[in-house]
Amino acid sequence: MNRPDAAEGGNRDRNAGMLRAQERREEWGLLSLAAPALLVIVLVILIPVGWLFYLSFIGGDGQFSLEHYRKMVEYKSYARTFATTFEVSILTTGICILLGYPLAYFLALLPPRWAGIFMLAVLLPFWTSLLVRTYAWLVLLQRKGMLNEFAIHIGLWDSPVKLVHNMTGTLIGMAHIMLPFLVLPLYSAMKKIDRDMMHAAANLGASPATAFRQVYLPLSLSGMVAGSLIVFILCLGFYVTPAVLGGGRVIMVSTQITAILENQFDWGAASALGVVLLVATLLVLYIAARFFKFDAALFGKG
Amino acid sequence: MTNSESNGAASTALPIHIQGLTKRYGKLHALDAVDLDIRSGEFLTLLGPSGSGKTTLLMAIAGFNRPDAGSIRFGDEEVILKPPHKRDVGMVFQSYALFPHMSVAGNIAFPLKLRGVSEKECAERVNEALETVQLSGLGERGIDQLSGGQRQRVALARAFVFRPRILLMDEPLSALDKKLRERMQIELKHLHRQLGVTTVYVTHDQREALTMSDRIAVINHGRLAQVDTPEAIYNHPANAFVADFIGESTMVPLSRDASGSLSFAGQRITDKAYEDTAEGWSLVVRPERLFLADTAGVDPEKTAVFDVTVRESVFQGETAFVLVDIGDDTELALRFGTGSAEATGGLKPGDRARVGLLREDAIVIPRERQP
Amino acid sequence: MKLHNEYSGGKLAHTIVGAAAAMLVSGVAHADPVTVVSWGGSYGEAQDKALFTDASKNSGIEIIRESGASMSKACLQVQSGAVTWDLVVTGSGGAASAAAEGCLEKIDYSVVDVSDFYPNLYTDYCVGADVFATVMAWNTEKYGEPGTEGAPSTWADFFDVEKFPGTRAYRANNVDGALEPALMADGVPPEQVYEVLSTREGKERAIAKIRELKPHIAVFWESGAMQAQLMKDAEVDMTTGWNGRFDNAKKDGAAVGYTFNQAMLDYDCFAMPKGAPNKDMAMKFLAEVSKPEYQANLPFHITYGPTNKKAYEVTTAPKELIEALPSHPNNVPLMLPINLDWYAEHRAEALELYMELLSE
Repeated sequence: MNRPDAAEGGNRDRNAGMLRAQERREEWGLLSLAAPALLVIVLVILIPVGWLFYLSFIGGDGQFSLEHYRKMVEYKSYARTFATTFEVSILTTGICILLGYPLAYFLALLPPRWAGIFMLAVLLPFWTSLLVRTYAWLVLLQRKGMLNEFAIHIGLWDSPVKLVHNMTGTLIGMAHIMLPFLVLPLYSAMKKIDRDMMHAAANLGASPATAFRQVYLPLSLSGMVAGSLIVFILCLGFYVTPAVLGGGRVIMVSTQITAILENQFDWGAASALGVVLLVATLLVLYIAARFFKFDAALFGKG
Repeated sequence: MTNSESNGAASTALPIHIQGLTKRYGKLHALDAVDLDIRSGEFLTLLGPSGSGKTTLLMAIAGFNRPDAGSIRFGDEEVILKPPHKRDVGMVFQSYALFPHMSVAGNIAFPLKLRGVSEKECAERVNEALETVQLSGLGERGIDQLSGGQRQRVALARAFVFRPRILLMDEPLSALDKKLRERMQIELKHLHRQLGVTTVYVTHDQREALTMSDRIAVINHGRLAQVDTPEAIYNHPANAFVADFIGESTMVPLSRDASGSLSFAGQRITDKAYEDTAEGWSLVVRPERLFLADTAGVDPEKTAVFDVTVRESVFQGETAFVLVDIGDDTELALRFGTGSAEATGGLKPGDRARVGLLREDAIVIPRERQP
Repeated sequence: MKLHNEYSGGKLAHTIVGAAAAMLVSGVAHADPVTVVSWGGSYGEAQDKALFTDASKNSGIEIIRESGASMSKACLQVQSGAVTWDLVVTGSGGAASAAAEGCLEKIDYSVVDVSDFYPNLYTDYCVGADVFATVMAWNTEKYGEPGTEGAPSTWADFFDVEKFPGTRAYRANNVDGALEPALMADGVPPEQVYEVLSTREGKERAIAKIRELKPHIAVFWESGAMQAQLMKDAEVDMTTGWNGRFDNAKKDGAAVGYTFNQAMLDYDCFAMPKGAPNKDMAMKFLAEVSKPEYQANLPFHITYGPTNKKAYEVTTAPKELIEALPSHPNNVPLMLPINLDWYAEHRAEALELYMELLSE
């Protein structure tokens, strides 16, 4: 309530205090909306990762020790496991790009209604459990699986081809599972490319191939990089698919962490592996970011 | 308005001949057997409301859509089957369609590099183009560092830098604010004269069309309503649509007076003879063609004079706008310049006044059933 | 207060009264239920039918059954001081490692009567629940029925791809039962296997033998289910694995046979995480399920043998079934009993070496 006489006297500061208070309340209100997310991040990311880090430096006797890291140098299996992990992740990402780019491009060209239907087909795998999809591949690809039987039946090859329980099977399964993670960001990046861009390129004299290479590809690159990074990072920590389709021959870091935990209950050793994987991943991301910026500058020169 | 055919730039310009061009989207006729000849070096504007087919026509010329039937010739060459990248026409897009991953110079050099122009010549021509659009020194800027007006100029430079024989523009100024738009209209006109290239310009803004064009093609429902010079379009609209779409107007039905002349509210409004037709005739009243008969010297031989009651009088800066009632609930609008104070006569609602129309200014068109 | 879950939020007063009453009652008359954790699938089901349901009924000890038994999780509970499990099923090797990590309670043998148990099937930290064998199994269409002329019968046969051409499967990411066959195939007598494996050279000798076979190992198996599946689908011709799984696969129509000869006799057991919430009652329940009358029912549900010798006397199972159990007196002498002391001491190093081989 404002009394007229009071308003007369202090016009300049009229309601200033209350307005400021209201503004502050709104700010706190907004902040409190973010609070649950911040809390969750602290609880489920920062604290566990910090604990992991701490554990990796604690030896069997409970004292500070580098024994877990020393072991990683001592036995070649660790280096090989990391190499396999990055190999599988890079190859899966590459396959996803090869398959996903044309797919996303096709989806982006479709009228929205059809794009919706096809997108559903792309996302359908998300609706079934990872394990089911992985075992489905096993059934399809194994020695007496459907694919081999069919191929032999129609005379494509004579004796069963080894398609699973190796790197091939792992990559097939991983690419299938990861494809949507690449297609979604790529599709949304492609949808944002103004149709006029390609018209302009054509109008200026670029053949469809040139227009694609010089205009569409660079413009969709951000989506491709985002999708590739998601796929790559998810691959690094993947367990189920390589375990089932790799036939014990594709040993990823996650496999080795499980082996250590299940056999030795050695949280310190497992943590050390986790820490090294985390650091290696951050390193790769950093290099990728540097490389991408370099890329952008390159394209900027046109 | 000058016709740029006279400025000797015909060597870089080509006429466009469009015949029977038809494009259907489902049942909708976006283009309905359009015939249009665009002269070499002229600035022709496709003017129409949204959905009229003007953009479809432009896109067909550029090669971005595939018509159902018809012919498009650049000079003597049939191009209807040619893909867009082989048509060699420049185009300025409504969205500008500048490539965000390239610098200003990169954008402008794009068509030159595709044509195998040497590095050195390329740089020269980019600088030249930048100079032409008054953006010298901004070549290294990123597209996102430019204002709307600057982007427009870059788009323009990119469209003409490779010396196309035909330049297409799709509402290039629609994203600019009014002041900038008006300045760019003049600049574009100037540039057109300088380049002498055949230019097809799409807009829905009749003032823009009147300002810039050598000729205007008014298009509606996929058909050409009238193709003529701005003056002719304005002064002699061929039909109600053109009369209504271009400029302000009030349309009133005409009848025959005792002498057989076309008249309105008992006043003969034209000396010309019009044949009797089934539809009859309408008068198109332009607000600025009406004047207050009290304040000007009126020659009754040349002027139709009406007694009116003032309904509303509005001051709008450089002009004033007066709405009057001519008696039988028919309203007419008058517009005066406010250059002299007495021009409006200080009219207030309810005042009686006399309004004159010179008979030679009367625009008579065939009456159409109102939709 | 699990007892009073049925009280919903609407009746707060009732809940408080009820909870207070429950606390009183539980303090005086009832103990909290014992949480018993086993594996899922047919194994846990067999234990429910043969052991847990009847033992709980007869002893009056209330139990909560959970699945997903894992020594690493049990250890995590112990190390984080939030133990909710009382009895956990584990492999013998897992129990030994967990004990070495200090994750397990000592078994109170004044409560649990193991006087009729086979001597190797209980330790300070775990009590045998059933006996199984890690055997070699093969596709009978390819190599013939067990015991017939020309069928494989020793680990030397398993490692001999000239005599028995075809593909093999072997254990993945876990060294349990992986090195012993290699040494036996390399000519080490069963009774000296663990002695040889106690040196680095011995381990490397076993690894070298497996390395020779590796090009022919098409798949490394991760689980019992996978062993059965590999044989059912004829994905490989010969594999190592757990006898019960192959019996099940055979029941499902797989052409699979195995031999107990040179197999490794091993057992699953019950262990108690250190600081189990209901230790005393859990010990009593453990004593109950270890009685022969319950173990005697196990063969009806899974072909794993009892750990209590007396179960053979009281069981009503048919003779063929009994004789097919790994712990049957006829079969035991054919096999090499797993040496848990060796696992406690050498497993970590053996695993590192084995993982190194696998990752090659």
